[in-house]
Amino acid sequence: MTKRFEPRVARRHVGGYRPRIDGLEKASGRARYADDLTTRVEFPDQLAARVLTSPHPHARILSIDTGRAERLPGVRAVMTFRDPEVAALRPTSAGWTDGVDTVSYDRQMWRRYLDRRVLGDTARWVGDEVGVAVAADSERIAGEALRLVEVDWEILPFVLDPGEATRPRAPVLHPDIAPDNVMPPDEVGGPDVFVRKGDVDAGLAAADVVVEGSCTYHNATQCSLDNWCCLARWEAGRLTVWSNSYEPDQTRMFLSEMLGIPLHAVRVVSSYVGGQFGRADTGEQPFFLWTSLLARRTGRPVKFRQTRRESFQNSRQPAAYRSRWGAKRDGTITTMAYTCTGDAGAYADHTMFALKFAPAEVTEVALAHVTNVRMEARGVYTNKLPACMMRGVGNSQFNLILGLMVDILAEKLGMDPLEIVTRNFGHEWGALPDTSLVAVLREGAARIGWSEKRHAPGLGPLDADGATRRGVGFSFHPGWHAEWQEVRRGPIHVGITLNPDMSVRLEAPTVECGPGSNTCNLLGCAEALSFLGVDPALISYASVVDTDSSLKDTVQTDSAVSYLQSEILVDAAAEVRAKLLERAARILGTAPADLDVRDGVVFSRSAAHRRMTAREVMWKGDIVPISVVVSRPPSARRTGVPYMAAFAEVAVDTGTGRITPERLVIVNDCGTVMYASGAEAQQIGGQCMAVGESLTEEIVYDRATGIPLNFNWIDYKVPTMADMPDIDPVLMEVWRGDGAYGACGIGEGVLTCTPRAILNAVHNAIGVRVDDIPLLPEKILAALGKG
Amino acid sequence: MAGAVKARRRTVALHVNGRRFDLLVGRDIEASTTLAYVLRENLGLTGLKVSCDEGACGACTVIVDGKAILSCMMLAVDAHGRSIVTIEGLEEDDAVVAAFARQCEPGHGTALQCGMCTPGFVMAARALLDETPRPSAAEVKEALSGNLCRCGCYAGILEAVLRAADRRSAGGGR
Repeated sequence: MTKRFEPRVARRHVGGYRPRIDGLEKASGRARYADDLTTRVEFPDQLAARVLTSPHPHARILSIDTGRAERLPGVRAVMTFRDPEVAALRPTSAGWTDGVDTVSYDRQMWRRYLDRRVLGDTARWVGDEVGVAVAADSERIAGEALRLVEVDWEILPFVLDPGEATRPRAPVLHPDIAPDNVMPPDEVGGPDVFVRKGDVDAGLAAADVVVEGSCTYHNATQCSLDNWCCLARWEAGRLTVWSNSYEPDQTRMFLSEMLGIPLHAVRVVSSYVGGQFGRADTGEQPFFLWTSLLARRTGRPVKFRQTRRESFQNSRQPAAYRSRWGAKRDGTITTMAYTCTGDAGAYADHTMFALKFAPAEVTEVALAHVTNVRMEARGVYTNKLPACMMRGVGNSQFNLILGLMVDILAEKLGMDPLEIVTRNFGHEWGALPDTSLVAVLREGAARIGWSEKRHAPGLGPLDADGATRRGVGFSFHPGWHAEWQEVRRGPIHVGITLNPDMSVRLEAPTVECGPGSNTCNLLGCAEALSFLGVDPALISYASVVDTDSSLKDTVQTDSAVSYLQSEILVDAAAEVRAKLLERAARILGTAPADLDVRDGVVFSRSAAHRRMTAREVMWKGDIVPISVVVSRPPSARRTGVPYMAAFAEVAVDTGTGRITPERLVIVNDCGTVMYASGAEAQQIGGQCMAVGESLTEEIVYDRATGIPLNFNWIDYKVPTMADMPDIDPVLMEVWRGDGAYGACGIGEGVLTCTPRAILNAVHNAIGVRVDDIPLLPEKILAALGKG
Repeated sequence: MAGAVKARRRTVALHVNGRRFDLLVGRDIEASTTLAYVLRENLGLTGLKVSCDEGACGACTVIVDGKAILSCMMLAVDAHGRSIVTIEGLEEDDAVVAAFARQCEPGHGTALQCGMCTPGFVMAARALLDETPRPSAAEVKEALSGNLCRCGCYAGILEAVLRAADRRSAGGGR
């Protein structure tokens, strides 16, 4: 039974259960997304853009004849890779930034891998957008025009498997960057062996026990309902782009840098985004460029919108891990070694973030007490859709091996895996056992019924049907969205304007794509202005980010916007307070230091009769608003990290191989819960993706042709309401970060531990391991010797 | 005579939210234009969303002659003469809309996050409650399993639909 979360510190607004501020707007259909803001009703003179998608997994365009396409009535422009404005575009990547900061061309994160040509002549996966883009009166005509383009392809050999891609004489995707298809080391991710601590070989030799394991995380994809789209319009040399990018400031930089126009001549408008889940972390999408170029050439607004099938644009980074651990007989882990091969697909994007950056972060915190650690990873190009960011990037893949090794070690030593975890994991700045880790494990274990339901692997009771067995499993992970982990963002901008009538305008620009950080910001603003007794209903807050009129936006990545802007709002509110007291002091004939304000009443500390309401202060003076803008970076104070855990109970039908997750308990130490309903929605909601990735979601290719077979929602199985288990969301406040709230983001981590928890539960149920997700029934049957 | 019949057939009359719209095939729409496209791009009714455009996600759900249908799977010409309700046509105090907007019952999360699927869920839920005023949780899950919510707010949606059913049965809202 679900227990209501009780906050550690009672606050007026922050932390409670309440409806979302955009609840009615969205439930009534009035919320407008990029696709809604750019209909033909809004832009009647718009043209539709379409782009050629490659039918071949690897091919080069030898020649292209656009004559018939250009003669089709309704076609307004046909642009190819040979056109000067296209050929002039510099090679680029689709991962300039992981979203936490805005970067220029020269400072893009993965500048070692400039493997994308916009509208280039070479296709590297089936679906690669290459060669030619068309603008026409309608999408249908644009599509027809593309069919009339005569392309002479040089069909090249292709490779789908990373193992085959690294053999001699394998087809090479990017000869200049990776002549053997192996992505070379770069300065951000570091060398192939990117973590080298202590002496792993000596550690393994000296260990009482050594265990080994391996697992594979496949290629699920984000499946945002809001297909990528944009509308570009030029007016007097200025470019405006309406888009569902959640990084408007970065998109502006991208357009400016790639098109060679000043920043002030680019305006990017982003409204609500219909779910992004990491998708937009490759925000430097080529379509922004060809849409803008087509708009410039035709002098008309041009809209580009991917179909759902085309929206299968990138996947989670597939990763195959192998690991060896050495431990003492008492369960103390002395040594860990990991090797990982990542299937990058056709382009690098954020492959090295998943393979190196994220596991290195885990090492800094959770593995701080392990003496010897070595991590090695390499990314391999193949002719498949590119892998990149997806909610829980890198951490989800790493958790699959981390939780496996815990389970294997516990089995080997005959210990409870919970004890293995609390004995070994914490963070660099704290002693063992870690209080946050102990708390989330204890709570999760109690809720799932760990001690009653856990049994020896495969030895639980058999159901009356003679086939179904049950098991429980768990996994845990350190958080990676504490305030100090967000310092790379640089200064965060927020503004508060107090109107004379005591209503408030809040500026905390961020593109709301679902997590509810707009509600968090509004509550944070009301909380910070508690001295005025401001009603949240009297705070206006724009849901649209417009780079012409907004402060620089804080990107909704790391799910950290739920508290980051609120921390800065505390400073802004303090300035509002100081300015209000200055005004009041002039009116009351005293010094500001003599005044205080509580619940909207300003009063003298020395003379009780000197008092007036804040509203009276505002009306008596110049009747101009008090406006404050504050800009400062997140606190860098190293406060360690909180922990999270998932516990799963599953039923496995050993006759059919079908796995039914029956119950999930999702535990997050949040530091401070900013908005309980939103945080629970994250915990529950993330399981749609987690259960899908564990059991059904996988992009399937035809090995013979390289054609992906399920770029649609009939054959690519996203869980529906009928597929989901009961979920018990558990919010906790144990650890504390810096700042007024000391919160952390949880939106990514809510799904990180679930696949491993389910896999360990399956092992507990049937006594054999399948460590390759999704856990399709045929894999279970094969493992049971029934294949 | 034949010409007159042909001319009549070229005009498609849609009754949307109580208003009639005449659309000329060949000028306003094409024979292959979907109802979803017309509602959004010709009439500006952007509450419904087109995501998969092939009947797999439910985001474009509207009510036609009392039944929830996927407007991406119906041609505009096939909607001729039919009565169509989009989410814009619901009353201001609609119980289902209100329940989705307000859901914050502890343990269930909110009924929406990004909101892209929400109008489709609201319309599908409304059609369900018109047919089955007091559905069980299993009936709600079955009826709404044609709609995808990638944010995964299924628990909140279930709670919202059950609460809307309570409120409608008690005579509150529509």
